Amino acid sequence: MQRSQTLGEILDSRGVSRRAFLKYASYVSALMALPAGSAAAMAEGLAAARRQSVIWLSFQECTGCTESLTRSFSPTLESLIFDFISLDYHHTLQAASGEAAEKARETAMAENKGKYIVVVDGAVSTKDGGLYSTIAGVANVDMLRASVKDALAVIAVGTCAAFGGIPKARPNPTGAAPVDEIVTDKPVINIPGCPPIPEAMAGVISYLVSFGKLPELDDLRRPKAFFGETIHDRCYRRPFYERGLFADGFDDAGARQGYCLYKVGCKGPVTYNSCATLKWNGGVSFPIQSGHGCLGCSEPDFWDQGGFYRPLSTSLRDLGPALAGAAVAGAALGAGAAWASRRHQAAYVKEQAASEGGKK
Amino acid sequence: MTLAPASSHPHAPREAPALTGMADAVLAEVAARLEDYAETGRAATIELTAMPLTTEDRAELEAWLGRGEVAVTIESAGHSEIWETRFSGVWFVRHFGEGDRIATESIEIADAPLIVRSHPADMRAAARRLAALCADQSTRTRRDA
Repeated sequence: MQRSQTLGEILDSRGVSRRAFLKYASYVSALMALPAGSAAAMAEGLAAARRQSVIWLSFQECTGCTESLTRSFSPTLESLIFDFISLDYHHTLQAASGEAAEKARETAMAENKGKYIVVVDGAVSTKDGGLYSTIAGVANVDMLRASVKDALAVIAVGTCAAFGGIPKARPNPTGAAPVDEIVTDKPVINIPGCPPIPEAMAGVISYLVSFGKLPELDDLRRPKAFFGETIHDRCYRRPFYERGLFADGFDDAGARQGYCLYKVGCKGPVTYNSCATLKWNGGVSFPIQSGHGCLGCSEPDFWDQGGFYRPLSTSLRDLGPALAGAAVAGAALGAGAAWASRRHQAAYVKEQAASEGGKK
Repeated sequence: MTLAPASSHPHAPREAPALTGMADAVLAEVAARLEDYAETGRAATIELTAMPLTTEDRAELEAWLGRGEVAVTIESAGHSEIWETRFSGVWFVRHFGEGDRIATESIEIADAPLIVRSHPADMRAAARRLAALCADQSTRTRRDA
């Protein structure tokens, strides 16, 4: 396969027609809520593009993000993403090891100068020169700086790369930092989640390849197409929330009725992600549908938000600034939902305070 | 992505409305776009995948539009089903992903959906393949003679 060939030519030689491109583009445009007519433009863009060189760096991570992307798509429509990219370096997936592996990364960087995309999963250790996490004797922070030097863009996949995630959780022994604290002179796209939704990763990469530009991002550099609304905004249990019907425990009558999980700690109202619409495992379910509140895994510092099973209002009292920030974002993006959740939070805090006061 | 209804889940709200009125809204848009297409030739696509339509809404919309004279299936990167509705120029385009899961669903207002047409690049490639086949056949005929 020649690098100079377009994707259209490569796939044509394998008997894949332009209909496949159009179909894939329709799928991605629908995922990203692009204007309906943009599928045709995206299909043409993809067919005319070269195979996108991707260098994937795994730092302080658990490989869940890679698993999410590679194991989600069976060989039909959705898996076409793997034909559009050339994964030139990924130390978990590549066959080469040792010096040959590092050589592959350097070759890809030299051959695709200014055009390759660096994908990072995992946080970056910065304390003591970053010595807590190294690959081939090179500190992650140094490998990141060297790899992004001639990159077109950097995609931080997963909450660890985007916001520091679990490695950065208190007390953060390794000085873990998110990618955009290290990379300040290249466009960075954050696709948080623990793991991120595979369609979000595939959608963003396809968009970059076909249009040669970044999709629209929010203030945390997340693509608005996937992070424009809260889980709560699109939750199928929201009608119960609106009617004030809540589960108070995981095995009470409310839980059995499928009532809203707000009081058992659901972070849906302050979590921006597409789980409620795209769902997981090929659309089977998502945490709330499986009876558990949202952990808020795609938000900054989700691990330190005061407990997964404490209702938002309680956490809000303890950790004002973090959640207040999220509520402000909510006001901007999902005004109605944020207003409603704040109204409920206020009522709940009052109720809790009253009952605590009563106990004393 | 799935279009499986939330109401199929045991924990789903029991009193969720089956028909939300969304189908009426979509139908009105189809009517406006069709009128526009008939007058100006401006084709349009209405993407249904991400619309908050319930299963009942979808069934209602599909029933209203009905089935016309043409049905097409495409086998390319999975299976697709396309049909012209009983309103000429209004097409239902449904692409399937893994298994029987609907990956995308849209209504196209056009003389034929874009994906049904042959793409110039595919035709150029086909012309090369066909020319090679002709050359191969004539060589074989000469050799046999």
